[in-house]
Amino acid sequence: MTADINPAIGAMLNNARDWLLHEHSLFKTLDLKPLLIGKGKATFSVYLPDDFTDASGKIHGGLLTIIMDSIFGLSVFTALEELKPIATINLRTDYLQTAAAGGRVICAAECRTLRGDVAYVFGELTDESTGAALAAGSGAFMVGTRGAGKGSRL
Amino acid sequence: MTTARERLARVRASAGASPMARWLGFSAALESDEIIYNLAFDDKHIGNAMIRALHGGAIAAFLELSAQCALQAHLGENASIATVNIDIDYLRSSHAEDMKARAVILRAGRRMAFVEATGWQQDEAKPVAKARFRMRIGEDA
Repeated sequence: MTADINPAIGAMLNNARDWLLHEHSLFKTLDLKPLLIGKGKATFSVYLPDDFTDASGKIHGGLLTIIMDSIFGLSVFTALEELKPIATINLRTDYLQTAAAGGRVICAAECRTLRGDVAYVFGELTDESTGAALAAGSGAFMVGTRGAGKGSRL
Repeated sequence: MTTARERLARVRASAGASPMARWLGFSAALESDEIIYNLAFDDKHIGNAMIRALHGGAIAAFLELSAQCALQAHLGENASIATVNIDIDYLRSSHAEDMKARAVILRAGRRMAFVEATGWQQDEAKPVAKARFRMRIGEDA
């Protein structure tokens, strides 16, 4: 599924994957498993740990936004011809249904358009066992940011 | 009308029971009779090791919890609330350090509330992110 991705981007994604899965505590606890990586597309299976529940014991919506921001960003990387830093400009998330801790969800993201240096991503989260839609979202990402510490990301 | 101290007590009761609040290192304090929310920085909040910035999703989760606490404090401990949707703008780069937030209730009706939360790090006049939350109030929430 990765044949049409630029090799440099593919190598970067491999590094990113190793970092996500082995070193970083947030992504390690989310146990990300890639299901599909294509040009402009990223679909991952993600675990919902009970460290991220609200007072009622359901998964806090913030975790769904964390997952979508992460996978949406990866879908932008797969759409690029050369490796560039990216930054989220804005994100909109609809919480369609509450999610229970201890299950897995599928986050499917598609970077549909690169317009100049702005990437547009659409995606959704579904319950891996039932297929029920849990959240839907869209985001815009700036491609080629200067990174942190320079005052402005945009 | 509830006092600022009563609202703060409600915020602490509401956030204290939440594992998400613990993960965020979430706390609240009064400054000039207004509640200021705080995310205590930890390495687990970093999104990208190469630029050492807070994860955008962690910022969104922090602002959402701040907005929920502000609404819970306004409505009382027994009110049931659920976030319908969120919109967040990332205005500036974040750094690997604490973040503060202020939440403003734009409108709290019988069934719906609209809350805005703004997060900053060094300087409140230079916000890092601003988010708008729509929340359902009531037994169906």
